[in-house]
Amino acid sequence: MTQHLTEKDVRGIATYARIGLTDEEVTEMTVDLNNIIESLKPITEYNLEGVEPTFHPIGNLSNVMREDVEGESFTQEVALENAPKQQDGSFLIPAILGGGDE
Amino acid sequence: MAQAFAELSVAQIQAGLTAKEFSAKEVAESSLARIASADKAVHAFLETTEEAALAAAARVDAAIAAGDIAQAGPLAGVPVAFKDNMNLEGTHTTCSSLMLENYVSPYTATCVSKIIEAGGIPLGKLNMDEFAFGSSTETSAFGRTFNPWDLERVPGGSSGGSSAAVAAGLATLTLGSDTGGSIRQPGSFCGTVAVKPTYGVVSRYGVVAFGSSLDQVGPFARNVQDAALAMNALAGHDPLDCTSQPVTTDFTANLAEGVSGMRIGVVPAFMEAEGLAPEVRAKVEEAVEHLRQMGAEIVEVELPNAQAAMSAYYVLGPCEAFSNLARFDSVRYGYCEPGCKDLGHQYEASRSAGFGPEARRRIMLGSYLLSAGVYEKYYYPAQQVRTLITQDYVKAYEKVDCIIAPVAPRTAFKFGEIADPTSMYLSDMFTISINIAGNGGMSMPVGLGADSGMPVGVQLISPAFKDENMLRAAAALEMVYGAAPVAPAFADGKDGE
Repeated sequence: MTQHLTEKDVRGIATYARIGLTDEEVTEMTVDLNNIIESLKPITEYNLEGVEPTFHPIGNLSNVMREDVEGESFTQEVALENAPKQQDGSFLIPAILGGGDE
Repeated sequence: MAQAFAELSVAQIQAGLTAKEFSAKEVAESSLARIASADKAVHAFLETTEEAALAAAARVDAAIAAGDIAQAGPLAGVPVAFKDNMNLEGTHTTCSSLMLENYVSPYTATCVSKIIEAGGIPLGKLNMDEFAFGSSTETSAFGRTFNPWDLERVPGGSSGGSSAAVAAGLATLTLGSDTGGSIRQPGSFCGTVAVKPTYGVVSRYGVVAFGSSLDQVGPFARNVQDAALAMNALAGHDPLDCTSQPVTTDFTANLAEGVSGMRIGVVPAFMEAEGLAPEVRAKVEEAVEHLRQMGAEIVEVELPNAQAAMSAYYVLGPCEAFSNLARFDSVRYGYCEPGCKDLGHQYEASRSAGFGPEARRRIMLGSYLLSAGVYEKYYYPAQQVRTLITQDYVKAYEKVDCIIAPVAPRTAFKFGEIADPTSMYLSDMFTISINIAGNGGMSMPVGLGADSGMPVGVQLISPAFKDENMLRAAAALEMVYGAAPVAPAFADGKDGE
């Protein structure tokens, strides 16, 4: 079977998708993804010359406009209800550039 | 033993309420008590919602006391429950994922509020495959759901809890969502009437997104009339989902018409598909014969590109899922790994711990398929294939009003029987092309398979926004097969022993 992805590729994808994987998980994921990608082969073998893509099942969608009127929205309190960490009415996150102390 | 109200149909419940044989409060209390005992064996429910149930029941009882049950809505007093990817304010909405284990909904999904406004009594939230990724409900982070017809078998998925709850008589109506077969396949596995409406019939607002161009919400019931009543309540435009359409169809209107003069399509390639179990094929053929005898014109139709639907789906689904699941950032809501020194590490550690293996696989796959150079090889062609599949259906519907096909290649399998992800994906081989094209499709129970003794559903497929066609054909089959029974081990208030 074609090797579509190496373990190194899988590590790169994991970094991009923000999923931390252990070495063992990388090995397992590489096997699974290669199997799945191999099963997608039919899509690469179709003669699709001149076929327009359909990006959405409802073809005639157009932009929807409405009056700019004030409506109800979440209060700050409600918006923060599910936040794992908050401080002074804001979401709290650790350092963005690394190395900082919480 | 208390009366098992959730085994009753909508009409039976409303007749009892009107005749004051029982109150909506009794329906709510007794249904919750029944869940507490019988759901130990099924595990369809992740949470029960006593407070919301009693509040809804009080509204219905007030309307009855005022002499007008109609004022309480067409589903007045009906015990209902919702897949746990649907927000109901003040309840947990977990998507059966550790990622959302502690998430409490600050608002209510449109589909949920429409069912409650129609008088439904919300009993609780139902188990599912994690983020709806799966066909067996085995990927739930909170334990498996058991098929009420055989507790050693899966209920199907991803809406396994929704179908099992109806099959066990724990709810009269439930809602599920279907991205590639997640309503219809558990419908077939548990023997329930399970409807995936045309994309755009039901608002997706407040339903946690998996594949936004494929997802659609629909009802589970034990008879076609109840499913059609739920469709009436659900359908229509919602300003909060601009893909929802102004549908005003009365889905109950043509149920008594029968199929005389109706043109129903059969797809030979589906009936001869590799992997289709003989007992399932036999049931579909039997149903076709019944429809013919009742006066339907059976017409062979071709869907030449349908075999490409599987690979197109496993490109499009993961790509859309990758995009939708990017919102789980461990900051605004969802699981957050403690003690991380910087934000990048917190993202990776939280998403790794919060998402299960199948969710991680689909996120990774979608990330890969959308990357530069790969996009052109898979994603773009998949969208072109979507055009071909849609055109196939449009062409077929020039000749027929509805198509009949298998739902799943086999009946419910045993736990752990299918472990390889690519084999599991084959569960959806007959349902996926309908999501790709955006048409309506449903599973209609037609009795038990000759070999497994498990329920078999046939799939009825409608042209886009002609969902009334499949419901009409389903109602005709119901005249032959009868309404879907509660699974024997749970019938008449039994607890599954």
